[in-house]
Amino acid sequence: MSNFIEGKAGTRLLLMGNEAIARGALEAGVSVAAAYPGTPSSEILENLARASKHWNLYVEWSSNEKVAMEVAAAASFAGLRSMTSMKQCGVNVTADFLLHLSLSGTRGGMVMVPCDDPGAVASINEGESRQFARSVEIPCLEPGDFQEAKDMIKWAIELSEEIQNLVMVRSVTRLSHASGTVVLGEIPEMRPQAVFKCDGFVLDPKEGIMVPAPVGFKHDLQHKKLEKAVLRFEECPFNTYRGPEKPELLIVTSSICHLYSREAVHRLGAEDRVGLLRLGTTWPLPPKLVEKHLRRVDKILVVEEVLPLMEQDLKVLAMELAPQIGVKRFYGKRDGSLPMVGELNPDLVGQAIAKILGMEYKTAPQEYVDRARQLAFFGAPARELTFCPGCPHRASFWAIKNALELDNRHGFVCGDIGCYGLAVLPCGFQTLKTMHAMGSGTGLASGFGKLGRFGLDQPVLSTCGDSTFFHTGMPALVNAIHNQSNITMVILDNSGTAMTGFQPHPGLKVDAVGNETPSIDIPAVCRAMGARVEVCDPFDLEQTESTLLKLLEVKEGVKVLVLRQICAQSPEKKAKKEYEMRVNEAACLGQNCGCNRLCTRIFRCPALVWDQAKGTARVDEALCAGCGVCASICSLGAIERKEAV
Amino acid sequence: MGNAELSDDPYNVIITGVGGQGNVLASRVLGNMLARKGLFVTIGESFGGTQRGGSVSSHIRISRDSTWSPQVPKGAAHVLVGLEATEAIRTLVDYGNRKIKVICNTRPIHPVGVIAGEISYPSAQDIRKWMEELTEKTWFIDATDEAINLGSPVFGNIILIGALSGINVLPLDREDFEKVISETMSPEKVEINLRAYDLGASMVSGRKL
Amino acid sequence: MKVFGPKELHEDVQKKDLCIGCGACVELCRYFRNYKGKTAMIFPCTLPQGRCYAHCPKAEVDFDFLASKYWGEPYEGRPLGKYLEVRAAKAGDRMDQGTFQGGGTVSALLTLAMETGLIEAAALTDREGLVPIPRLVTGPEEVVKCASSKYMASPTLAGFNLGVRKGYGRIAVVGTPCQVTAVAQMRANPLEKEDFNDPVALVIGLFCNWGLDTRKLIALLTEKMDISTIQGMDIPPPPAEVLILETANGEVKIPLEEIRPLVPNSCHICPDMTSEWADISVGMFEGRPGWNTLIIRTSAGLKLVDQACQSGFLITEKMPEPNLDHLIEAASNKKKKALLKAQKDGVLNTKQEDQRSAIRMRAEVIERITA
Repeated sequence: MSNFIEGKAGTRLLLMGNEAIARGALEAGVSVAAAYPGTPSSEILENLARASKHWNLYVEWSSNEKVAMEVAAAASFAGLRSMTSMKQCGVNVTADFLLHLSLSGTRGGMVMVPCDDPGAVASINEGESRQFARSVEIPCLEPGDFQEAKDMIKWAIELSEEIQNLVMVRSVTRLSHASGTVVLGEIPEMRPQAVFKCDGFVLDPKEGIMVPAPVGFKHDLQHKKLEKAVLRFEECPFNTYRGPEKPELLIVTSSICHLYSREAVHRLGAEDRVGLLRLGTTWPLPPKLVEKHLRRVDKILVVEEVLPLMEQDLKVLAMELAPQIGVKRFYGKRDGSLPMVGELNPDLVGQAIAKILGMEYKTAPQEYVDRARQLAFFGAPARELTFCPGCPHRASFWAIKNALELDNRHGFVCGDIGCYGLAVLPCGFQTLKTMHAMGSGTGLASGFGKLGRFGLDQPVLSTCGDSTFFHTGMPALVNAIHNQSNITMVILDNSGTAMTGFQPHPGLKVDAVGNETPSIDIPAVCRAMGARVEVCDPFDLEQTESTLLKLLEVKEGVKVLVLRQICAQSPEKKAKKEYEMRVNEAACLGQNCGCNRLCTRIFRCPALVWDQAKGTARVDEALCAGCGVCASICSLGAIERKEAV
Repeated sequence: MGNAELSDDPYNVIITGVGGQGNVLASRVLGNMLARKGLFVTIGESFGGTQRGGSVSSHIRISRDSTWSPQVPKGAAHVLVGLEATEAIRTLVDYGNRKIKVICNTRPIHPVGVIAGEISYPSAQDIRKWMEELTEKTWFIDATDEAINLGSPVFGNIILIGALSGINVLPLDREDFEKVISETMSPEKVEINLRAYDLGASMVSGRKL
Repeated sequence: MKVFGPKELHEDVQKKDLCIGCGACVELCRYFRNYKGKTAMIFPCTLPQGRCYAHCPKAEVDFDFLASKYWGEPYEGRPLGKYLEVRAAKAGDRMDQGTFQGGGTVSALLTLAMETGLIEAAALTDREGLVPIPRLVTGPEEVVKCASSKYMASPTLAGFNLGVRKGYGRIAVVGTPCQVTAVAQMRANPLEKEDFNDPVALVIGLFCNWGLDTRKLIALLTEKMDISTIQGMDIPPPPAEVLILETANGEVKIPLEEIRPLVPNSCHICPDMTSEWADISVGMFEGRPGWNTLIIRTSAGLKLVDQACQSGFLITEKMPEPNLDHLIEAASNKKKKALLKAQKDGVLNTKQEDQRSAIRMRAEVIERITA
């Protein structure tokens, strides 16, 4: 929608937070960007990939977040400016390298942009990235709105280059995926010359070697870098105060919570009673700045997501300053003013302020809410998540579920991250029994598969997507093979990283920018590792089921079943129906014994609708993807398929 | 159409629907149209997993002088555009109020629980009755059916934007719509989108209660 | 008779280890399927009443209900059930000798029935390796392909159900007592459907003391030999006490004491040794290899036997009294042991009206049998 990639300075645009960040990278003179897809961060790299067609940039979808950070770091070591972005989980994946990088330091300005997901809008955790900045001791910045999401990148890159260490700029879903008004800045003409200077004196930061040792020396040096950063923080334009000289209550906030807080104060009409200190530099806290504002009040409300980190830091600082400024009363998460779990919003902040100030926070009248809720009981039936029509995972899990039940030994599936993670729900017949991090499904299976000696006689399976395979599935598979674990790994190859928007990965012949590149053949890799490998099309339910049954009976070693069928949402496949489907109403048994609505009740494709009036199933042509699989599940042959023209 | 002043600042619009309906597209078009008028626009979305058939909402804050929170405060929506009727009802619980105006598409998208025969989908009459009870004014539009006549269900969103401009609560101009659409679409596509927009506007003009 | 649904079937039969894998609930729908001898519930079905439960020979089998439907009288618990005659029998000259195991009576009767059009299909049991599989045959020459004895519990009735769905109207079933019981329940229209048509033209029941669990048998034999070389198996009558496997490399004998643990739990509550609800029941003739014991129960069965004798398909002789007595004794013992076990396991009648049971039988009949 917005042509911010080529837009001129001074142009006013409506930009998504991630678009603003991408533009920020361009304005900061970033030359290299690498990332692994993860909601809510994916659009940053996607947009930089588009930008690389116009500007001189190298942009890469790396196989995982750690490698992505390493790629960005290499650019920095060679004197270029770089960026790596990820979702909150991805920070954990980078952790080992991040720990050492923060000690070795960087050269060209380097910024990491973790995008957290408070409230787990698109995750299965609401982990904190800011904690990592503290534990590896790098400066942490948090943009408070869309303009800052852009402007802070340049500021952070320049800071990084000055202190010779990477800087964290942390976003959240409600910033990354929200849109707001941004005025564009200048994109500098970049002609960087990459050279890795490493032959000087080993400890020379500019020409020495890039290692974290000697640790004592480097750690000390790291602290000096932080001190420099703190000096910059004291003067940083992103730390702002708005409100009366001596408010009754001081709100200290960061990130998008700043907008929630401002809105809450506005709704209460309390602008003359509440001061709003918005920190853009949240670790380390600039002590002089904080002291100046703490002096204004006795009561402080800290509004942040997710963990009360800033709250704790402020309390420590306040305690140290107490002899000078007096004892302060803090409100926030720890005292229950704000919830510890989930994301915040203007109403939660408003209610907290109202309670502290003895005011009333008004929303819609209770009788309206009650009545609406009452009507919504029937008026708004629950909407569960499901696989898209034509999704190969629906077919894969149908075959897996059937095979496991026929095998009849209480076999189970360890799940992993991706669209197929939805198989914990009815749409995947609740087949998945564990789900944690990328690659964990096969890691757990590798462990389960060794418990035979302790009496575990249940068949062990894992499911792993094609992108997940390259991310962290491979080391788990290596482990299983080398340690002779008795498992079956089912690789669901739908030719893309689907959940996050269908980005390419090493199994595909195309890169982030759309150029042709060599692809890595998954079955060949598994065979080379020494697994027994079978490949099936999950749309062929019968063959998939019988292959899997056969593999489940193999008593030893690692079996890999690759189920290969392209995602229904992939640009290649989308809207191309292979079959025209229809239900033969005369043959449909519907609710009667012999069927009991198997297709609509259990298979649950959104395009198969139960027609209450007729007592039969019906195909919704608008939703049907034409994959033809439902024809195989009806034992009466009442679902007919005909090849589409 | 034209230069309606904002009756409230910030003015809050929520577009709600089912993942995959084009909620995001609609909110961006609307946002860009308003941004062209020099207004501050903030849009909050829910992406990712919720797209797999779950409920999605875009919260649009429109203001003369500031950027506001990407989440509309509870009970504070002024206008609700429902791409799907039951999602509109769901949204009214948290964000509705007696003064809210609603433009609602009539084509149902059955949740999986309904197609599986486990829960029932409310009748069109009940939906109409309940929405009229909970809102100041509701316009029901067969946007999807009309869109299919134009060639594809995806035009449904544009029809609804046209309708939103037609109820005259926001400064939405046809000219701004054309400029915004032209930035990303070819001339032939712009043509048919304009037709959809005009159709939407006409569908509300004869329909005042 | 009381009829419940698939949820109860799963609870009462499969979870209680009473499923015999007869296939009565398989191929009625996609919820119950059988693989290598084990029937599993793939997905839950929510119907409160289903044919699966109604047909199952281990769920609410009401003996009075069946006896009144078939014989017009209450169930009296006679050792061999109700019958017209018992004879010795064997296949006649019209059958190719060497195509069947034992006396060949079943193969002969089926072949004749197929040739005369009395039946258009037969639900039989075939084998894939060691795994018994259902086979619906539609021509006389196919009958002898399934002629060998399988000692494993097999899902034969899945083939029958498939045949019914395909629209066959004159089907024969050859089955063990549990399978024959299931067919009898089916034919009695337990769900009281108005448009019910009986698709069965002939039921031939086999004698059975116990069956074997396919998977456990395969596991045991795999330890002892290369199972791909097995061509046939036989359990000769007492006092032999062995299972004989005919292999490409000669005979392998396995003592029955190793085989008995492979008997499904379900067999121990089965009171029927001679398939009491069949038209004709056929078993071994102990002490006379090459001959069968033939129990003729219904007039339809008698008509077929007479026709077979007249046309050279079958040869029959009088059954000597001592052999008949011996058969009666064996059948009585099985009945008694089974009912005592069923009582002990709490699956014979119930204390409360709303509880469910595997077997329903009048108290005085039980008394008489178990005295």
